Amino acid sequence: MVSVHSISACATDTVTALHALEQEAAALDVAADFLCVFYDEIHDDQLIHDFLAARFPGVPVLGGTSYRGTMTDKGMSGDASISIFLIADPDGEYGVGLVEFAGDAASAAERALRLALEQAGCVGELPALIWLYQAPGHEEEVIAGLHRIVGDRCPIIGGTAADRGIAGRWRQLGPEGYMKNGVAVGALFPSGEVSIAFQGGYEPTGQSGVITQIANADLTDPARTSEVGAESAGTSNYGRAILTIDGEPAAAVYNHWLGGALDHKQIGDSLAADTTMCPLGIDAGKIGGITQYLVIHPNRLLENGALSTFANIKEGVRVFSMRGDPERLVERAGKAAALAVAGLPGGAKNFAGGLVSYCHGNRLAIGEQKIDQVTMALSESFAGMPFVGCFTFGEQGQMLGYNTHGNLMISVVAFGR
Amino acid sequence: MADSEELRETIALMKRELDTLRQDAVHSRTLLDALDSLLTVGDKDDPFASVFEVLLPMFDAILVIVLAHADSDDQVMKCIAASDTTLVGSLWQPDARLQKALNGRVVATLGGHDLGACMISGDLHANQEQPALYLPLTHQHNRRGLLLLLRKSGLPGFDRSHMALAHKFSLLASHALAARSAQHSEVESQRLKQLTDQLTDSQRALAYRANHDQLTGLPNRAYIQELVAERLTQKRPGDKFALAFIDLDDFKRVNDVYGHTTGDALLRGIADRVRTQIRGDDILGRISGDEFVLVLDPFDEKNKIVSMIERISDLLKQPFDLNGVQVKASGSIGVALYPAHGRDYETLRRNADTAMYRTKLTAKGTVGFFNRALGRSMSERLRLEQQLRAAFNARMFRCALQAKVAIRSGRVFGFETLLRWVDADGNVRLPGTFLPIASDLGLLDGIALLQLEELLSALPRLDQRFGENMLYSFNVSAAQASRPGFMKALIGRITQSGRGRNFTLELTEESLLRADNFRNHILPLLRDTGIGIAIDDFGTGYSSLSMLAELTVDEIKIDRSFITHIQSRPHQQSILHAIESLGRTFGIRLIAEGIETKDELAWLLDNSGLLAAQGFFFHRPAFIADLVDTDQPGDALVPPAIRQAIGRQRTPPPRNIQLDQNLL
Repeated sequence: MVSVHSISACATDTVTALHALEQEAAALDVAADFLCVFYDEIHDDQLIHDFLAARFPGVPVLGGTSYRGTMTDKGMSGDASISIFLIADPDGEYGVGLVEFAGDAASAAERALRLALEQAGCVGELPALIWLYQAPGHEEEVIAGLHRIVGDRCPIIGGTAADRGIAGRWRQLGPEGYMKNGVAVGALFPSGEVSIAFQGGYEPTGQSGVITQIANADLTDPARTSEVGAESAGTSNYGRAILTIDGEPAAAVYNHWLGGALDHKQIGDSLAADTTMCPLGIDAGKIGGITQYLVIHPNRLLENGALSTFANIKEGVRVFSMRGDPERLVERAGKAAALAVAGLPGGAKNFAGGLVSYCHGNRLAIGEQKIDQVTMALSESFAGMPFVGCFTFGEQGQMLGYNTHGNLMISVVAFGR
Repeated sequence: MADSEELRETIALMKRELDTLRQDAVHSRTLLDALDSLLTVGDKDDPFASVFEVLLPMFDAILVIVLAHADSDDQVMKCIAASDTTLVGSLWQPDARLQKALNGRVVATLGGHDLGACMISGDLHANQEQPALYLPLTHQHNRRGLLLLLRKSGLPGFDRSHMALAHKFSLLASHALAARSAQHSEVESQRLKQLTDQLTDSQRALAYRANHDQLTGLPNRAYIQELVAERLTQKRPGDKFALAFIDLDDFKRVNDVYGHTTGDALLRGIADRVRTQIRGDDILGRISGDEFVLVLDPFDEKNKIVSMIERISDLLKQPFDLNGVQVKASGSIGVALYPAHGRDYETLRRNADTAMYRTKLTAKGTVGFFNRALGRSMSERLRLEQQLRAAFNARMFRCALQAKVAIRSGRVFGFETLLRWVDADGNVRLPGTFLPIASDLGLLDGIALLQLEELLSALPRLDQRFGENMLYSFNVSAAQASRPGFMKALIGRITQSGRGRNFTLELTEESLLRADNFRNHILPLLRDTGIGIAIDDFGTGYSSLSMLAELTVDEIKIDRSFITHIQSRPHQQSILHAIESLGRTFGIRLIAEGIETKDELAWLLDNSGLLAAQGFFFHRPAFIADLVDTDQPGDALVPPAIRQAIGRQRTPPPRNIQLDQNLL
């Protein structure tokens, strides 16, 4: 039998916040079998890790920093919040591995999953779900690494750790500690069912172009691009800096699609906040003849008219101009949650609790005044049951049966009893 | 955007639900077969032999092994059944993974599993790379056991859906085996019968749900396709049937005005009415929101089908009383005939859809039959759509300008911006031939912004020839005017150029009347940025005096229908004078559109106070390059004919017209 719980505390001082969490955990009085912890970048990771190790000894834990705090079924937890997602499931098996990206990110992810399976006591077994939290910049490689082991046979869900300013202050936390540039992978074998949803809330405007040249971009270096490196796949280059679309400088083409909305931008400027309502999209496949789009969020304006993004794109792929609407992004959160719950055998009657990755870009687009509406929409779809949500720089999920990474998405896991 | 997002979401949800239902139905059927096999074999026969026949293909496996504890205390397990009978009787020592299955878990391996290491005796012809699936099985006298399934090396491993099926099988097979071992006692027999009945009912219910639309109970898209495909296999030469595609007219309005509950009630009402008109072997299905497919099978004479479908069409037009609300509806119906218009479901449905589409365009609420000409026309449209998409991506749209002329001085004071598509062969296509399709494809906004970009980049050269005070008018459709995102992008781009005061947006009367968004959000923006507003084709729509007063438009373009042959049409002359009076009252600049002859201009000069006009008589639209790549001064654009006509002017304009001296 699975039961899910959420606890949360908000204080700019980590010790104070942990003290409040200790009281909540004591009041809860359940034996945890799996934990996720998300917190704002201002907090001290080591203190959080030590607290969890002492309070929940031996329990697999996974998490990291989240953009401006967290949310739970009680609402927005505050900019300085720490939230814990707790599963009590004596018949389930859980494990987490945390590995630094030293060299090949795909191999790091593979190692992390093997560690997670080992901790779960399930070496060589297919998990019901993989939940991950990682540093930005290597999302596709991480999925490729996990894919080597599980393929698309089980869903890979999760988020990309975030800080407050895309400034490299993100961290990931696992059973052995925390790190700034790694990946935490959870292998989950709950005794109940799980169901997932992975959705965006954007529509194409009709404008599109083919990517004719691509390069790599450094997320923390505002303006630089580099040659496409060893991670090029097959004959198609891919990377995170679009140099040209239809043979013309990518930023100019994109700016043209937006009617000159980026005219005032200088090289190195962030585009994240300006483009949350008008990102790019790529064709992810068709359902019933209708194209489904994977959303790609532009990051910065680079030198030579290039455009960096928060996800890899391949050369030769058609990229679409997309548009969104703040109201719909609020509704989308509720719809994604409802879809995940409906996917459980028995639906809402069988629902124990949820785990949500909500893109920080969507939060920017909606605005702080309305972000409470997102927690309300989630709570409504989850029928008041416990959930914890983090705000991420990218989201991982399964679309049309394939595990993938996207931007400006909402990924939801519904845990069944 | 809302519509396309909802459509995408609805289809994705329907697909997910249908996939789940179909998977459940297949699982249920498979389980039923397996359970039946377990229960129907004689007591002395191997109960698993027939089960294996079901399980192996279902899991794409090549080997099944059933292990059971010899007794509850013994750690050693014995193979009690296997698809490879040489393994029966072999002894096994379960490792940690097999132990998990014994404890009730379904386990799928990521890679292989060294099963050989678990064998105490016997000879297993399996290697470590073969994907494996283990499931718990309670055997005779509640002894624990497990069932192993192995796939060929190189095949993908078992996935979550296999595990779900294995889980269900494990439960049911355990029940069945327990029942067998109880030697069919009365209680066990009853329990088992109940279980089997429940499963049969559930399988029927699942199959029904997977194949039928929940709202109307009619066959759904996938099922109707299956039903028609089945009928087609039974057809003999000379057999005929008709497939009708029914699309409700303006159904979205019903939902918008009366709400979705009434909309749903209408769909049920439609289904009920059509049902009353069809024969036992005919098929009616609902394939999406407001679309139905009707298969009339068989028919011998076309006129019988015609009268039947027309009867249905008439019936749909009768008012529906839905929870006390009277709702009027109609459906546009297209019909394709087998075999003349297609020999498979997809072709027939597509052709019936084409006929329906044409009917909806030309005579909404009626019936149309497919014919070859229609097919060609639809192919042509599809070709045009492809060309248009390619043209948009290759930016093959060009800006053409037509001069606006001050008719009493001969001076050019502005240009209307017109759109042209220069195709790959260099042919220039006029907007009427492609704009409606571009609008359907969602390309209109992008094309308009391309057009604006070309004009803005050419402004320095245009200034050089015509001066910096020229007015450039830009056409905006009613649909575009109601889209704040597009309008803001358009206005933003003009404003950024710093030339807002040189621009006028030409809108139809319809866009000003219908778009509250435009009036509340865009109009103030236009006023702030100095961009003017013109009402295009004035007199053909439904402008009201209050609207003119409220919107304070800058320019009215009198529709060409009032100007053509005006010299010989007294009625049009009266209307023109009335419009002139309106313009004077509100201080709005008037422009006569479509001047094509010397006589029309002469009449205007002599009998009206109009100051400005536009038309082929003065200037035919020209590409920007052709206008600016010349050494001639701007005034040379006005041809000698108009200079002569103006020279003959005898009557001065009435005194009460406020002349805009700077402009004219």
